[in-house]
Order: sequence, then C-alpha cells, then structure tokens
Amino acid sequence: MIEVDRVSKRFRLSKKQRREMGENYSGGKFIQSVSDVSFKCAPGKIFTLLGPNGAGKTTTLRMLGTILTQDSGRINIAGLDTLKEPDKVRGKIGFLTGTTGLYARLTPEEMVKYYANLYGISGKKYIEKRNSLFDLLEIHKFKDRRIGKLSSGMKQKVSIARTLIHDPEVVIFDEPTVGLDVITSRNIIKLIRDCRDEGKTVIFSTHIMGEVSMLSDDLAIMDRGRIIFNDTFKKFKNEMTSATIEDEFVRIVGGEK
Amino acid sequence: MKNIIIIFLKEMKDILRDRRTLILMVVMPLVLFPLIINISSKFMMKLETTAKTKILRVGVILNSNDDRIRKSVISRDDMTLTDVKDENSIESMINGKTLDFCIVFDEQFDNKVKTLQQGEIRLYFKSSAKNDISKRRIDKLLADYKNDLLEERFRILELSTDVVKAFNINEKDIVTVKEKFGEKVGGFIPYLFVIFCFVGAMYPAIDLGAGEKERGTIETLLVSPATRTQIVIGKFIVVTLSGIISAILTFVGLYASVKLNSEIPTEILDLILKVIDVNSIIVIFTLIIPISVFFAGILLSFSFFANSFKEAQSIMTPLNFVVIIPAFIGTLPGMKLTATTALIPILNVSLASKGIISGTINNGHLAMVYISMFLLAAVSLIICIKWFGREQVIFRG
Ligand SMILES: Nc1ncnc2c1ncn2[C@@H]1O[C@H](COP(=O)(O)OP(=O)(O)OP(=O)(O)O)[C@@H](O)[C@H]1O
Ligand SMILES: [Mg+2]
Repeated sequence: MIEVDRVSKRFRLSKKQRREMGENYSGGKFIQSVSDVSFKCAPGKIFTLLGPNGAGKTTTLRMLGTILTQDSGRINIAGLDTLKEPDKVRGKIGFLTGTTGLYARLTPEEMVKYYANLYGISGKKYIEKRNSLFDLLEIHKFKDRRIGKLSSGMKQKVSIARTLIHDPEVVIFDEPTVGLDVITSRNIIKLIRDCRDEGKTVIFSTHIMGEVSMLSDDLAIMDRGRIIFNDTFKKFKNEMTSATIEDEFVRIVGGEK
Repeated sequence: MKNIIIIFLKEMKDILRDRRTLILMVVMPLVLFPLIINISSKFMMKLETTAKTKILRVGVILNSNDDRIRKSVISRDDMTLTDVKDENSIESMINGKTLDFCIVFDEQFDNKVKTLQQGEIRLYFKSSAKNDISKRRIDKLLADYKNDLLEERFRILELSTDVVKAFNINEKDIVTVKEKFGEKVGGFIPYLFVIFCFVGAMYPAIDLGAGEKERGTIETLLVSPATRTQIVIGKFIVVTLSGIISAILTFVGLYASVKLNSEIPTEILDLILKVIDVNSIIVIFTLIIPISVFFAGILLSFSFFANSFKEAQSIMTPLNFVVIIPAFIGTLPGMKLTATTALIPILNVSLASKGIISGTINNGHLAMVYISMFLLAAVSLIICIKWFGREQVIFRG
C-alpha cells in the first residue's frame, strides 16, 4: 500500500543550473518539481506514473524511497510514515531504476549477498530466496563472474535479483527498461507482472506507451509536477477521445498546439 | 553497527580488487623507498670509487720556477704528468677531455716566495660532482707544497711554526648521532608518509563517493535499510584504513630497503634501525591515525560532492598541493615544533615525527599535536556525515 497525500517538493537551483534553464526562466532560485501530488497504490495492482521528461516522476519515486524528503505533505508506505520511520520503510521497498548500476568488481553472488546482508536476510531464508531468484533468472551460469564482464542483459537480471532478495512488500520501478533491448525489456515487464501476481504493491514510471497498455491497472499522468489524470487505466481508455493512447496522452499534456 | 561492518567489508573487498588503488596504495609506497635508496646509493658508490681511483691527468707549467710540484706529480701513481704547450691551450684540452687539471706557476713565483711575498698559482679545472672529489687530491698536493715553503720561511726567520698558529681547534661536536640523523632523515621520512597517507587514501575515496554516483549505485544503496550515517562511517573506515596502510607500507619499504641493500655502509644501516626504534614508531603511528581520519574526511566530502570520477579527480589534484606544501615545510632544516606550529595540521605531524626521530621533542608540544589532531579528526568525521546527509550534495542534478 502506498498513500501519497498532497506532497510537494522543490529544489534550490545552483547558479549554473539557473543559467541552463534559459533566459526567460522566471521561477527564481527554486524549481517546483512536484506540486501538491496525491495518489494511492493498492496491493496486487500495478500503478503507472506516466509523464514527459521533467514531469517530476523520478523526484516523486525518490521521495517514496525516502532518499529525498518532501517539503510538505505525507507519504505512507505499508502503514509507515516515510518521514518518521524512514529506515523501516526502506526495509519494505524494492527499488529499481533504468540507470541502476552494479559494482563491477563484485560477482553477482557477492552483489546479491551484500544486499541480503543489508536487509538482514540470512541463513535458510536467504538461501531459499537466492536459489529461487537465480533459477528464475538463470543467473547460476554466471554467478561467479565479475559483473563488469557481463552483458547488459545479465546485469539487468542481477539487478532484479538484488531488488527482490528481501521479498519487498512494495516495489518501485523508475523507467526500468531504459536502454534495454526488447528481450531484456520483456524480462522486466514479466517481472513487474509477477510482482503484482504475488500481491505486491507495484508502482512504475515510464513514458513508453506500449508499457502503459501492457501493464497498467491504475494510471496517473503527471506533467510539470502536477497529477493531471488519476484513475483506472480502463476508465482512461473508455473516456479517451483520440485514436490512440499516445494521441490521448499528448492531448492531455497539451504538447501539440 | 552491523550495517557498518557489512558496508566496510564490502567496500574493502571492492577497492582491493581495483588495480589502480592497489598500485597507489600498496605497490608505490612499498617500492619507492627501496628504489630511491638503491639507485642513489649505487650512484654515490660508483661516483666515489671512480673519482678516487681515477688516474688524474695533470699539467704543470713551471714558467722556470722550482720543479718540486712537477716531480711529485710524476712520482705519484694516481696522477700522470701531461704535456701542455702554453696557458692558452689549457682550456681546449680540458674541454677535449685530454686534461683534468693544470697547475700554472706565475713567472715571479720563486722570486716572490724568496722575498717573503705571496706567490701565485693558477689552477685550471672543470667542476662537476665527480671532479670535485678528485680535486681534493690536487688540493692536498698544493697544500703540502705550501706547508713546505712555509716551514722553510720559518727556518730562515728562525721562528717556531707555533707563532702563526694562535690556537689549535680541537672539535668536539656534542650532537648525538641520533640527533644529527634525525635532522636529516627525520625531516624526510614524515614528509613521505604523510604524502603516501594522502595518496593511498585518494583513489578509494574517489571510488567510494563519486564512483558510486557515476556507476548509479548510490540510489540503491540509499534505499537499503542502512542509514546514511552508517553508510558514511562504513566508507570512512575504509578510506582511513587505506591511508594508514599506505603509511605503514612506506615504513615497511624503508625498513626493507635498508635491510636488503648490502651496499649501504653498516654504520648508517645500524643507525637507521636504531633511529626508527619501537618507541618512535609507536608515537608516529598514533599520529598517523588522526591524520588519516582527517584526510578521509576531506577526501570523502569532496568525493561525495563530485558527480563523476573525473570531476572528483580534478577537485583533488590541487588538494594534493595543500597537503604537500605543509608537509614539505616540515622537512626544512630549522623548522621545529612550537606552540604555534603544533596547531597547524599536517605540518604539526610532520614536525612531531621529525622531533621524535631526533629525540628532541617537547612533551607539551607533542600533547598539543595529539589534542589538535584528534579534535580535527573528529570534526572532519562529523562534517563528512552531515555533508552526506544533504540532498544538494548527493543529488546535485
Ligand atoms: N537534484 C535536483 N536539483 C535541481 N533540480 C532537480 C533535481 N532533480 C530534479 N530536478 C528538476 O526537477 C524536475 C523534475 O525532475 P524529475 O527527474 O523528477 O523528472 P522526471 O519526470 O523523472 O523526468 P525524466 O522523464 O526526464 O526522467 C526537472 O525539471 C529537473 O530538472
Ligand atoms: Mg526520471
């Protein structure tokens, strides 16, 4: 369960960043990345956060993951407040992003064990979970090779194993398929579905329409820090006035004028 | 606590698998001393022996003066008399390496000597490290002749030679061997271990901070149950330890080079081993700990700020000089630990180590060094932890 209640977040811009924003940037010293955002994600469902570049998706998901703290509003994850009990919240989350890296000088085995240790998973519980993930993702063959020498597909599998080693209640994916080929992307998509089928709460961000229609149970569209649509995906499809989901998305965001 | 250990063990394993880190942290400090000492002592020995055994080609232009010098050149088997036509050809002969020294008597030499005036001799040579050692033999030759002439004069004047020697200096230098050596080597060793302490910690620091951002692993680590403080402390210990290891290996390298190099004269060898005795080493190593913590705090803070390896390196390169300069000032002769210098970080450790090795340290000053360094270490750790907790540092956008 994830409950986000009127959350806002702004960043202070450095002088360099302000210069990069261009001449006609009028926001002053701050940039409002997330404005008054509220939504709920239920267990056993996939919640999709769709939005163009700079919409505030990553910022939102990082606040869910307690690595950023909101300026106002509350976030509740699996019954815990992210500001009051961030350490406990983190124990219940699996977090995977498209730009997630791994330690090149460790082996998949060491990498997964490191995180298992941090999550306090050991003994029989660890062995069982590790074996089932390594079987499922076919990691056994390369588990003792240095990660730096693996292909991107193999690395992605290791990342998945790392994300799920502690069997998290809530999984957060931030553009998880960025830069991956079709086959590896499919692995991720299957993983997201599996998580839902196991009854986990799943939230993922994307701007790929194919993924939206393949996965979404609930959908929120975000633009310039605000949620501009939030309902079931079914309702979105029923009510749309454009020919394709993509057209509808562009229409709502108001990209083409 | 458990998380700190988990992070520490993982990071330690990780950096020890990095070739660059290993070279800077382990191989360099271990090998540099043996290399320097070996090469320089070989070079010195060779220089000495060739300069001492070389048969010098000496020209003598008498200009019809007494030929005693000429005779003694001929009689010595470490010199050969070389023909020189006139004074004008000397320079080209020396440059052409057919002549080493040339002694030219002034035409009036004998006359002047006889009339108790000053005679004049011109000595031609080309100075160099090697030739300077050889020149001592020529100097001796001329000094002997001078003494002979002096004694003759005294005999003629019926005086005792004691008349001109108002007093005789009998030098009794009370500086202990340890003190003298401490001044020379003592200034040099702390300089090197401070530098290696810094350099050895640098790559691990870059790797554990900016490296984690560059690889995109920082986010996942931050979403793990480990708190930020635990993460920083785990990493901090690794970086501190890297500095300490480098410093220790510098000593091991020095010790080994002295032990293994048989060409170092035994007196000096015994001396070094005596100078770097157990007590000195204990004090120096208790100083290495706070200075390593201090370095780790600075290095990690910069590293956490940088977004990439390259950025971290470009920040830290000028930082090298900030460390090298005070450490180097400590090696200068005459620099001593005072109430003021005891409070200047890096310089104080450099000077304290020098004082300990030479045995001239003042305990009050040493205490000040300890207090200021441990305080500084604590402050640097706290700042680093606070710094890592800031969103603007970790996610600079
Ligand atoms: N650390 C930061 N400092 C300053 N500004 C930031 C920072 N992080 C994000 N921003 C700004 O906040 C806004 C939202 O960024 P965010 O990364 O959340 O968007 P996003 O929806 O994830 O975009 P993308 O699809 O490109 O990943 C952007 O304008 C971005 O420039
Ligand atoms: Mg993003």
